[in-house]
Amino acid sequence: MYNQAKYDEPLIFELSKKGRRAHLPPRCDFSRDDITIPENMKRTKLPELPELHEGEVMRHYVRLAQMNYCVDTGMYPLGSCTMKYNPKVNESIVRSEKMLYLHPNQPEETVQGILELMYELQVALGDLAGLPYTTIQTPAGASGEYCGLALIKAYHDDHGEKQRDEIIAPDSSHGTNPASTVMNGMKLIEIKSNEDGRVNMDALKAAVSDKTAGLMLTNPNTLGIFEKDIIEMSNIVREAGGLLYYDGANFNAIVGKIRPGDMGYDVLHFNLHKTFSTPHGGGGPGAASVSCNEILEPYLPVPTIDYDKDKDYYFFNYDRPKSIGKLHGYYGNIAVALRAYAYIAALGFEGLQHTAEQACLTANYAVRKLEKIDGFRLSHGPSIPRKHEGVLEATPALRKYEVSGKDIGKMILNHGMHAPTVYFPLIAHEAWMVEPTENENKDNIDKYVAAVEEEMVKARKDPEYAHHAPYNAAVSRVDIGWSVKNLVVSYKILKEKLEKGEYVP
Amino acid sequence: MTQDFKAHPYLANSQGDIDGMLEYLGIKDVEELYSDIPDEIKFKDTLDIPYYKSEYELMEAVKAKLSKNITTREVRSFIGGGVLDIYMPALQDEILRRTEFYSGYTQYQEEVSQGSLQALWEYQSMICEITGMNVANASLYDWATSVGEAALMCARNTKRNKFLYTSAIAPNREAVLKNYVTGAKLVLDILPHDPSTGKMDIANAKELMDETIAGIYIENPNFFGIIEDELQEIIADAHEKGIKVVVGADLNSLALLKAPGDYGADICIGEGQPIGGGPLNFGGPLLGVIAMKYDKRDIRQMPGRIVGITITQKEGERAFCNTLQTREQHIKRERATSNICTNEALVALSCAVHLALLGKEGYKDTAETMYLSAHYVVGELEKIGVKRVFESEYFNTFMLDLKIPKGKKKEFTNFMLERKIFPGLPYSSDGENYDYLVTTSYLLCKADLDDYVKAIGEWRS
Repeated sequence: MYNQAKYDEPLIFELSKKGRRAHLPPRCDFSRDDITIPENMKRTKLPELPELHEGEVMRHYVRLAQMNYCVDTGMYPLGSCTMKYNPKVNESIVRSEKMLYLHPNQPEETVQGILELMYELQVALGDLAGLPYTTIQTPAGASGEYCGLALIKAYHDDHGEKQRDEIIAPDSSHGTNPASTVMNGMKLIEIKSNEDGRVNMDALKAAVSDKTAGLMLTNPNTLGIFEKDIIEMSNIVREAGGLLYYDGANFNAIVGKIRPGDMGYDVLHFNLHKTFSTPHGGGGPGAASVSCNEILEPYLPVPTIDYDKDKDYYFFNYDRPKSIGKLHGYYGNIAVALRAYAYIAALGFEGLQHTAEQACLTANYAVRKLEKIDGFRLSHGPSIPRKHEGVLEATPALRKYEVSGKDIGKMILNHGMHAPTVYFPLIAHEAWMVEPTENENKDNIDKYVAAVEEEMVKARKDPEYAHHAPYNAAVSRVDIGWSVKNLVVSYKILKEKLEKGEYVP
Repeated sequence: MTQDFKAHPYLANSQGDIDGMLEYLGIKDVEELYSDIPDEIKFKDTLDIPYYKSEYELMEAVKAKLSKNITTREVRSFIGGGVLDIYMPALQDEILRRTEFYSGYTQYQEEVSQGSLQALWEYQSMICEITGMNVANASLYDWATSVGEAALMCARNTKRNKFLYTSAIAPNREAVLKNYVTGAKLVLDILPHDPSTGKMDIANAKELMDETIAGIYIENPNFFGIIEDELQEIIADAHEKGIKVVVGADLNSLALLKAPGDYGADICIGEGQPIGGGPLNFGGPLLGVIAMKYDKRDIRQMPGRIVGITITQKEGERAFCNTLQTREQHIKRERATSNICTNEALVALSCAVHLALLGKEGYKDTAETMYLSAHYVVGELEKIGVKRVFESEYFNTFMLDLKIPKGKKKEFTNFMLERKIFPGLPYSSDGENYDYLVTTSYLLCKADLDDYVKAIGEWRS
């Protein structure tokens, strides 16, 4: 029986008592009386940071930690998020003093070690992409998308085709795709998917024109179905003068098995926190790499990390007149990239191929078992094999038993397991997007399916039970609407509201 | 795969598991799952990518490569410019290594994610205390991207398309700003600084501001380290013209300097690494801070995730959740306020832990040490005839007037390196001669500062 820890943990501000110290900073060799700040810029009241002693700080965060589900707690099959096990050796490696204490602006000759590792990583990622030129400057997948699309735009602008400002993407695409398109000043042309969940070729043919900048497509797509007509699509887009962008969110399905460059893509991003096992950090930091072919290479962000073979010297190359510029204050999330390097090097080429194969195998196994449960059906193209993820629809559960996909997700939490991604992609109804990854074995998947079955038995008898799940998490079902109406987003606002006599729980 | 499968720690299934699943699926080989993929695009070759057979060998190999680096702890580092070497208390890393925090994801299932939600809400609250604002988000990537996002936010809030920014901005932040606003077709222009004081040229700025401007961006202290102490007039003028004011602050300086929220800024941004987000890590991950004054309409233009207090449906208990999600890409797609999805949540949490450890007094202590160290060095350098480029008031950063010719820069770097010093951030306004932007962290003691002065003296003689 699972029970998440539950504490009535006060806000850290409520634990504060004047005069307590939790940490003493390094000594100061100077008299504190010698500070002269211009009178009109002087701070008169210190910020109300909490005052605790060290042990209390520790307890506060340990208690909060215990009220938090994570990959190391149990199965976390969030589709499209690739919640892999985070190898612990990677956490040790990045805590090397030779990594922690490097200033991004210290002399280049004093950072040859990390530059060498990042250069090797770039080469490995480029090899896996089948697109040889790589940057790791983009700190997240969405930033990678922004970068890749900016390269495409720069290419067209540079070739006298400024009118090319349309990015075509299917209606099954990740939400970041349209958002990154618009941030690049381009328009999104959304095309409908087929009944089998793949890109509708007629719709694609109708969408391309002399305004087409490119096609943005993850493959396998968000239903976990491979776009088998990718070569034909690539030809259609190319003939219209457009380029192809690969959203690498789903790359875990095909690592070492298929290279996006060989499918006709010109540019891609990989989410290092998905395919390459770096921790998701409760929302971040992640990191992305962007790889492209020679036609887009001149536009890559500055600086690139390059290697001078003759001098055996790694360096930042700023001499890139056609570059789109910078996307991060420095060189990206290097400590995250180093973890990705360690992951790749622990598996090697063959090991990476195995991860893709097992990711596909566990996904198909999970999806095929789940679809047999009364309340579920598989979305789109039932006979097509899935890749690393699959999308079920809880539509029968909703129609027959008034139990939604969200409800079933909440019920799963009762078992010390995490819900899949719910209600995405938008082209599926009551979507349940399942991605176990290669880190779940058959036994765990069997247990997961058994848990869904068990909960569905209860839900069919008593839909109310489903509507109020979960029952043994730190809190019961949360009302998000209240937060939007009241917007208590800081301690200051909380205090103001309480002073005004408004209700805040 | 069935033939040559080798067990690996990162692969969960034994051969027996695999066979069982294959059997259930009615297939003989996992390759059949790839059977719908055209053969011509399958990769049949092999790739020569790094591979170490055991954890020990991997660890040793990476460490051997990293050992070629020289760290800020092996020398005395005077480099700032946005990020700064800090000491991370042992407790902080202990919390950062809590797998519950680092191996979870975005809190899509709030009920089992209350811990990180509360921690992020507390982070937002601490940022509000420091900046004098009352709304902060749960993080952006770094200070540089915060400038870009803030500019876009001003444009959406005012429905205007011009944005002015200080010429005393860090070059890397300027570069990212330029990139971020191209899509929205924002027109950028510069608010020049006075070359004699290093401060913003107020009279000139007022002339440049009119009612077509969406927002202005000021750094305080600015990139040259100078405290902008005459902003009241320009901020009042901006507000009269409906212009939003964004202040980029060195968040450590706010222990001593008035908070931007208290002198009229609408939005305050900055870098969270130097106030405890984490170690330097060669410049990433960092922590983009963005905070604003609450406004019913404007808050809906904030990019990124925001954690709010809420209630449970049945018992009405206090709980936390990501709020105002309809601003975000997973719901609004092309109409989202930003494309940001994955952010820097763990760095934000880490920053909150650090601030909780420092507390009110520790936060002030560290800032005072930085201030006093800088002022001591400047005093000692003046004694040997080395001046600052600008003589205005500063916090812990100043531009040292060294005028090192381009051709001698490497020699200077090596000269200082021999003395175990990273002398600062080289900066050239003409592309020919380099001055150095010098920043003092609280890790430098008086002896280090004396060595610095001595080394500069030796170089000059």
